[in-house]
Amino acid sequence: MTRTDLLQGTLDVLILKTLRSAPMHGWGISQRIQQLSEDVLQVNQGSLYPALYRLEGKGWIRSEWGASENNRRARFYELTKKGLRQLAEEEEGWERFAQAVSRVLAAS
Amino acid sequence: MASRILTALRALFRKRDVEGQLDEEVRFHIEMETRKLSARGLPPAEARRQALMAFGGVEKHKEEARDATGARVLETLLQDIRYGARGLRRNPVFTFAAVATLALGIGANAAIFSVVHGVFLQALPYGGGESLVRLRQDAPGINVTDPPFSPVEINDYAGRNRTLTGLAEYHSMWFVLLGKSEPERVQTGVVAANYFDVMGVKPILGRTFRPGEDAPGAEPLLILSHDYWMRSWGGDKGIVGKGLRMNDRVHTVIGVLPPMPAYPDENDVYMPVSACPFRGRPEMYHDRSRRMVQVFGRVKPGVTVAAASADLNSIAQDLAAKEPKFYPEKGTGFALTAVSLRDELTQSARPTFLVLFGIVGLVLLLACANVANLTLARLLRRRRELALRGALGACRLRLARQLVTESTLVALAGGALGVLFAAGGLKLLVAFAARFTPRAREISIDGPVLLFALVVSLATGIAFGLIPAFSARRGLSEALQEGGDRSTGGVVRHRMRSALIVVQVAISFTILIGAGLMIRSLWKLQGVDPGFAIGRVLTTRLDLNFTKYTDPAKRWAFEKQILERLAGQPGVVSAAIAGSFPLNETGPNSGRFEIEGKPVPSDDLRPQAEFQRVSSDYFSTIGVPLVAGRAFTGADTDETPKVAAVSRSLARRFWGAKDPVGERISFDRGKSWITIVGVAGDVRQYGLASAPPDEIYLALPQFPTLSGSLLVRTSGSPLSLTKTVAATVHSIDPDQPVDRFRSLDEARSNALASPRLTATLLSLFAALALAVTCAGLAGVIAFTVGERRQEFGIRMALGAEPRSVLRLVLNQAMKLVLAGLALGLLGAHLLARLMSDLLFEVRATDPPTFLAMSVVLVAVALLASFFPARRATTVDPIATLRST
Repeated sequence: MTRTDLLQGTLDVLILKTLRSAPMHGWGISQRIQQLSEDVLQVNQGSLYPALYRLEGKGWIRSEWGASENNRRARFYELTKKGLRQLAEEEEGWERFAQAVSRVLAAS
Repeated sequence: MASRILTALRALFRKRDVEGQLDEEVRFHIEMETRKLSARGLPPAEARRQALMAFGGVEKHKEEARDATGARVLETLLQDIRYGARGLRRNPVFTFAAVATLALGIGANAAIFSVVHGVFLQALPYGGGESLVRLRQDAPGINVTDPPFSPVEINDYAGRNRTLTGLAEYHSMWFVLLGKSEPERVQTGVVAANYFDVMGVKPILGRTFRPGEDAPGAEPLLILSHDYWMRSWGGDKGIVGKGLRMNDRVHTVIGVLPPMPAYPDENDVYMPVSACPFRGRPEMYHDRSRRMVQVFGRVKPGVTVAAASADLNSIAQDLAAKEPKFYPEKGTGFALTAVSLRDELTQSARPTFLVLFGIVGLVLLLACANVANLTLARLLRRRRELALRGALGACRLRLARQLVTESTLVALAGGALGVLFAAGGLKLLVAFAARFTPRAREISIDGPVLLFALVVSLATGIAFGLIPAFSARRGLSEALQEGGDRSTGGVVRHRMRSALIVVQVAISFTILIGAGLMIRSLWKLQGVDPGFAIGRVLTTRLDLNFTKYTDPAKRWAFEKQILERLAGQPGVVSAAIAGSFPLNETGPNSGRFEIEGKPVPSDDLRPQAEFQRVSSDYFSTIGVPLVAGRAFTGADTDETPKVAAVSRSLARRFWGAKDPVGERISFDRGKSWITIVGVAGDVRQYGLASAPPDEIYLALPQFPTLSGSLLVRTSGSPLSLTKTVAATVHSIDPDQPVDRFRSLDEARSNALASPRLTATLLSLFAALALAVTCAGLAGVIAFTVGERRQEFGIRMALGAEPRSVLRLVLNQAMKLVLAGLALGLLGAHLLARLMSDLLFEVRATDPPTFLAMSVVLVAVALLASFFPARRATTVDPIATLRST
């Protein structure tokens, strides 16, 4: 199985999508993305935390300290209203982009 | 944006917190990963190792995460500032030199900007001042410029114009005010009732004049100026309603004005036109030819000064056509212009302060170049440290930012100190500016000036920080690779330092030329023969109270008595009374005359001259030489035939080489004739820079005057006789005010004061510029010598003479100086053209100045480079070879 590195910028939308279902801590987010993409997408751990801080800075997500499943202190991230709107926009944009790429590939 | 800054700030203040949270989060992540891997069967240690590897450089990611919070920018800024401040503290010589240089540069700019702002930029201190104008009329065809208006004319202009909302007359006179312990001579503005409304002036106490209070027969009223109220009445709030005796009448004080520019005159009090014994005469109200007042007006909103001038001009043409006998040149009339009050108040200050502003701008540029140079020198010494920091991972941008932060710190410190300098010199500067503009009192170091200083400091800091930072960028990696003393970066920086020296030399030369031209001009002015012997002469105003001395004969009787009593006093060589004296603020009157046997086609074309009424000893008292004929004597009285003396220029203009003694002139179109008995030398009446006017001297007993000056030639110091003179006058008339004691020498140095102060200021700037530049040059040469020590050692080991090594180094210095000189010629040329208005009989391209200043610059620069260059010759060849 080939693992694909994430395109620049796509990590943001994946994080937002992941957080849509439930608040989650950083490690959880990385596992979830890997899992949902059936291990095709590998989240570079190093870029995950800067991305989280950046998104928080933009006000799309917010964080809170809570207890993890194994009762450890962990920082949980959740989607804000602003983030939800952003996700909708990005999903739509991604859809258009993917379709466009498919069309080009199909044509040749 | 705001919320992002807030987040960043919050993140900054919670920095420890954030750091801890980040640590904990990363720890948690790695723990979870380890746990996942162990669950797959890896041994715990291996699982942890793989988890860590998967995460990558922990510190690097933490850094990136921190950057993403935005706290990074502020945090590094504070860190840069702390680091910079520490570096500056550790290097006090550099810091002192840089801060002092910039303090001078920024201080000079803040000081001159305070004038620029106070005088030229800020709103006029009148309500709606921008729409105020002064009306002037001119008849260039017959050589009449800016004569006064008659009240009748003003009524015409006020009633018929379509561009002005108000028009108010004004003139100023000296009156004697009684009621205080000593009689006081007060300058009195005589104005129409609407004057203060037109000018937009509101009183701080009481009220101003109401409509009708200037009508003939109205009660005499008085408004006090702020200065006079403070000076003579101690700011007494109960002054309103008081009656003050002037001109044999009691005037009721109705108000006090706010502080205002001393414009049009430095008036102590104001009265309505009806209260003025001259202006209030009935003929003033209907005789069109009684021209004695000025006019101020306010243009309607949206109307330009040019449009107002055109409107007034068409009225003037119409008046001249209807009343030709009152207007020059048979009906062509006067050309009317509305001059904006802003121009009136500031125009004469403009050339000087424009030049000064340009010069201080250059000084600042020079200071920047110098400090950039110092910084480069420091960088050259710090290159290992910088290289090390680069190797340890500090990015280039960060290092450049560090340099700019440091330079900004230095500039801000310099700016703060500079503002203190400017504040310290403010009083002197205001006194200087007062010679050019009545707005000088509005100059202060206020908000806009501080803002200007701040902006200049920041810009300066960034500018001189970026120059070295730019060179540092290129130098770093190479410095790291070589690690040695002679990195390529060093060469780049050294070249940059040379370029900066060239710029500094160019600026210094430009300022030197400016100063040189001003000094040359001052020399020429000082060398001007004023036409009289300055010596020991005491002058004082002597304005007779006209209500007391109504009869002209009584005036002369009083004045004669003063002269007679003074003649016997010890210390008095001679004494005279004259309408005016040379270089005095108030000049003589000018008028037209007629020469017997030389008729002119029209009255308007009669020749013009200045009339001076003088007592018999006037010429000997102030030392005006007699060229031909005789001076006046005691025998020239009101009972003998009228006599006159003329100035040499007038004699030459109308009689050529012929002696005019015995010729006759007339002031009343031939009704009476006055015989010329003498020719006096030319006198610079209006200042050393203006040509001597044509003058006609009249004998005081035959033409007595009310306002004049008493002149006393003394054997000792003139001012020591002040009390004697006052006592003598008061022994005859205790109510006669005598004031404004000045020596004639003071009048002359006063006439020279503005150019002298300008020259002093420019010389100061030039000396500073030269000193700073030479210090910079010496620094660069010293550094070169240090760098090339080995080379010189080898050269000398191979037989080179110390002298040739010295020449080698000096040649390098001279190359920089000559390049700067060439560049400076360009700047000097531009500056000199800007200065041409300030120069007296010196052309902007004055070759002696350019030559002298080039020599000065090259000589001083040679001297400055000689000492460091000599060190090159002291290199010990053997020691150098050993160390290689």
